Amino acid sequence: MNMINKKANIVLWLVLIVFLAFFPKLFGIYYTNMVVTFAIFSVFATSLNMLMGYTGLLSFGHAMFFGFGGYGTALALKHIEGIGIFPAIGFGMLAAVALALVLTPIMVRVTGTAFAMLNMAFGQLMYVLALKLYTITGGEDGIANFPIPGIFTESLRNSPEHFYYLAMMILGLCMWLMWFFTKTPFGQIQVGIRDNAKRIDYMGHKVSQSKAVIYILSAAFAGVAGSFYGLFHNMISADGSLGMGMSFTPIIMIMIGGIGSFLGPMTGVAIFQLVDELILRYTESTELVMGVILILVVMFLPMGFMGLFSMLKFKWKARSTGNAKMEKAS
Amino acid sequence: MDPTTVMYVSQGLQGLAYGMILFLIASGLNIIFGMMGILNMAHAAFFMLGAYICYQIVAMTGNFWLGFLFAPIVTAALGVLVQQLFLRKAHLLGNFGELILTMGIASVIVAAIKKFWGTQNLPLSMPDSLNGMVSVVGISYPAYRLFVIGLALVVLVLMMLLLYRTRLGKIVRAAVSDREMVNALGININLVFMFVFGGGIWLAGLAGVAIAPILTVFPGLADQVGMDAFIVVVTGGFGSLVGAFIVSIIFGLLSSYGVQFLSNFAPVLMVCFMAIVLVIRPNGLFGVKE
Amino acid sequence: MKWLNKRIFVIGLGLLVLSLLMGISVDSQAAPKSDWAKPNAVMDVNDIPDMSDFDPNHPAVLQGDTIKIAVVAPFSGPASISGQIDYISIQWAAHVINKKGGLFVDGKKKMVEIIKADNQSSPDGTKKVCERMVLREKVHVLMGTQGSHLMKIINQTAEKYNVIAANFGANSDELQDATNFNRNAFQMTQSVSQLGRGLAYYYGKIRKKEKKFYIICQDYSFGRGLAAAFKQGLKEYYPEAEIVGEDYHRLFLTDFAPFLIKIKASGAEVIYTGDWVPDANNLLKQARQQGITLPFANIYMDEPVGLNEVGVEGTEGLVNITQYGAENPAFKTKTDIKNNKLWNDMWKNKWKAPYNSALYEWPLGTIGSVIEQTYWLLSVIERAKSIDPEKIIKVWEGDVFKFGNGKTVKMRACDHKVIQDFHVYESVRPDKQKICMNIPPYYWSKERSASGPVHKIPAEVVLPWMDPKLDRCKGKNCWGE
Repeated sequence: MNMINKKANIVLWLVLIVFLAFFPKLFGIYYTNMVVTFAIFSVFATSLNMLMGYTGLLSFGHAMFFGFGGYGTALALKHIEGIGIFPAIGFGMLAAVALALVLTPIMVRVTGTAFAMLNMAFGQLMYVLALKLYTITGGEDGIANFPIPGIFTESLRNSPEHFYYLAMMILGLCMWLMWFFTKTPFGQIQVGIRDNAKRIDYMGHKVSQSKAVIYILSAAFAGVAGSFYGLFHNMISADGSLGMGMSFTPIIMIMIGGIGSFLGPMTGVAIFQLVDELILRYTESTELVMGVILILVVMFLPMGFMGLFSMLKFKWKARSTGNAKMEKAS
Repeated sequence: MDPTTVMYVSQGLQGLAYGMILFLIASGLNIIFGMMGILNMAHAAFFMLGAYICYQIVAMTGNFWLGFLFAPIVTAALGVLVQQLFLRKAHLLGNFGELILTMGIASVIVAAIKKFWGTQNLPLSMPDSLNGMVSVVGISYPAYRLFVIGLALVVLVLMMLLLYRTRLGKIVRAAVSDREMVNALGININLVFMFVFGGGIWLAGLAGVAIAPILTVFPGLADQVGMDAFIVVVTGGFGSLVGAFIVSIIFGLLSSYGVQFLSNFAPVLMVCFMAIVLVIRPNGLFGVKE
Repeated sequence: MKWLNKRIFVIGLGLLVLSLLMGISVDSQAAPKSDWAKPNAVMDVNDIPDMSDFDPNHPAVLQGDTIKIAVVAPFSGPASISGQIDYISIQWAAHVINKKGGLFVDGKKKMVEIIKADNQSSPDGTKKVCERMVLREKVHVLMGTQGSHLMKIINQTAEKYNVIAANFGANSDELQDATNFNRNAFQMTQSVSQLGRGLAYYYGKIRKKEKKFYIICQDYSFGRGLAAAFKQGLKEYYPEAEIVGEDYHRLFLTDFAPFLIKIKASGAEVIYTGDWVPDANNLLKQARQQGITLPFANIYMDEPVGLNEVGVEGTEGLVNITQYGAENPAFKTKTDIKNNKLWNDMWKNKWKAPYNSALYEWPLGTIGSVIEQTYWLLSVIERAKSIDPEKIIKVWEGDVFKFGNGKTVKMRACDHKVIQDFHVYESVRPDKQKICMNIPPYYWSKERSASGPVHKIPAEVVLPWMDPKLDRCKGKNCWGE
């Protein structure tokens, strides 16, 4: 059974990769850009899920890493002549990591509400600083129209297709890395911390150190996502990337998709985008629809859509095998 | 007094008034989180609702005091409705669920307000009796702001009395620390929490009514004050009414003197203060560890 | 010999006079080019068709091949009122043209179709909706919006997909500078630099009374730009003026009192502000509550509900600069009166929410401005006889157009900015408003002070800033020549 499963898996992955490779040609620029947005926010939401779903640490300020990533890359491209695209993205990630390193000593000492609020406080601080230090950051207007060097072409600004491939490769790599991380023993420790931090402590694993590592990693991935966000729009601004809205967005996406499951955040992003596309055509009260959806999801789908999915899968399996297996919901 | 002294003293008075405004807005949020553990993201939306309902009452009757009396009650009633229908069920989900639920509710309330009252600005003036200047320590000061200061103080005293001197308050405090026990004693837990939530929303509505005459009643009202309320509650410590009061005053004074001496860097001061407090005392200045 | 001497004398005198005249006009910055305002086309107000079927809530459904124009603005969220104002103005202009039969482009008579494009006030939303408009709806023109950071995205998208971007709402001087300029983007609306300098000119050269100014603006690029422009204008046109204070406050500020206390103590005679709603309303309201009776020199303190709330006394003496103005009276000809009453009657009797609020009573101010700018855009398309961007660019660069209210505008060819006169209105009590509001009941409102006497700020003293780094403009003077 296992061999067939493995083969089926590989075939599925190959099909997916081919599909993604030909996507721009099949569906055009508009949908290609939708996929890029999906990729960016998937990485962002999944990076927050490393804290929320796996380690049990809710943060209300994750946008600061997203924004630092974006600003890092934008500033590098604006001020450093002739810098390549990969170093520029690296700059963005480093900026986010640097911020995380500074904050880690404070963050590892707290948990629960205090953790959430502390992150919110610093997130707000970064936002206000970005507005006030406008000579560097461009304030409300942000930094726009900076050069985007291509790898094979002069500038990625003119070829959304090439940008798509670059984005999919790097963001795909990020997703894979984060997934891989959850499978390592270290990843299991995270789940342990979420469920019972004291026990993990007794088992000999240093809780603070683990929290520090995961905080920094989560920041790094958020930074890469933010970097691509800035490149994608060829603009990065305080409101657009550091505001409270941007901190809440991934939280909502995780909740809708399903907290605690790896694919949950991605699912949430996809649903969010789908709804966004549809409602704009039919109504101007986007807030009303979003609000109603949130209420419905919390009331009736507390485990998110992934929860619904696994529940259906469980029911289908139970029906087909005829056995009632008690599966522990992870 | 010479003009410079007048200016500094005015800023001080002014800081106090602004602090009281912050306290009024934050008090409801503080109570609901402190007592029920619910982070009510819809607080600012109820604040806005209070202002709009007051406008409606004034538009229909021409009397501000009627609005002052009834708008918070109507707002609280709507809040209780929301709590009974939605929040009670989500309580089982824990913090995340309540959070997202209240965010959804906030969006729906704001959308409903826009549908019902439109997107334009609505006029809401203070009553004539309070429109004017009075003399405080030799300085000319708007009467309405004195009224707001007074109102905030009354609210604080009332709340403290209610919680610590009445039997009802005792029940509420007991329910918060050990709900099973209180339930076992035969007291309707549901009713208690309904009362607490209603009280918090009543405060939000009251704040809306009290502050709207200083501001413009328009659809962005919730966004305008939401963040401030949050910052006050977080810095003061969840569940600590006194903490919220003191922090409000500090913020008010910081804001006034910040503008006086540092002009446009004043907003940075507030957020820095919050960050510093949280680093030293992660549960807020007067917060109690969970 | 005598008559030869006389001739030489006359010729010499003539040459002297001539050289003196030339000497004056060499300073091209201040030279009043009297012939700049010769229009290539005019909005013919005598030709407004029967608009009684116009309903902004139920626009006419158009079939077939149309000229598609997207209005990229906030239609949801807290700023949705901007989108509503923009939409009714643009749709009105389009409807007028459609009732006249449409425009003849690319060989056919085509109607003008206006499509709402909600930008959700965010860069993300703007980019998404612009791409949807261009790639799916196949629009030919993207019209936008308040918020220069959002307009930059619209301009970029227009360049990328080769359509036209027409800016009626964003005022940053940066939009058309060397970094951000592109040929497809046209700024039909004022720039920040013009507004500040215009008010300074008014105080220095026209009013010549108050000398002490306090500047209070919103703390972002728009507010700072306005403050800088005002200060520069004072240096140019009113050196005796004194700036007794300068403050920047955060957007959507709840409490202005700390600033007002400083203003009180500063001895200022006029408060200059670029605030828009709700800050403009809250600033005025709270100032009057604090007992400050100083006049405000403003740009956006013109929202009727807020002004009514403050009342006649509190709003008397306000000074407002606008790009949609003209000499008094407001209604000059019978046709003027007829056209404006057309709108006003429908507003009173026909339109439903949200278009029946006080904001939409007359098609003046922002509404009038956006209507006329739309007429300009459509006129350019008409004369280009095509929606091919190249042909439109060719017609629009350097174009001079005359609005229905008599105002003339010129599109500076090298950087696509508008050269125009401005007007400054003074607010007076209802019984004095007759000089402007010249039809019954002879006042704009009983509840507030409003215009009022008007003064013209000639185009040459408020030419929009030109980026010296922009290649196209190198070596050209401020007129773009």
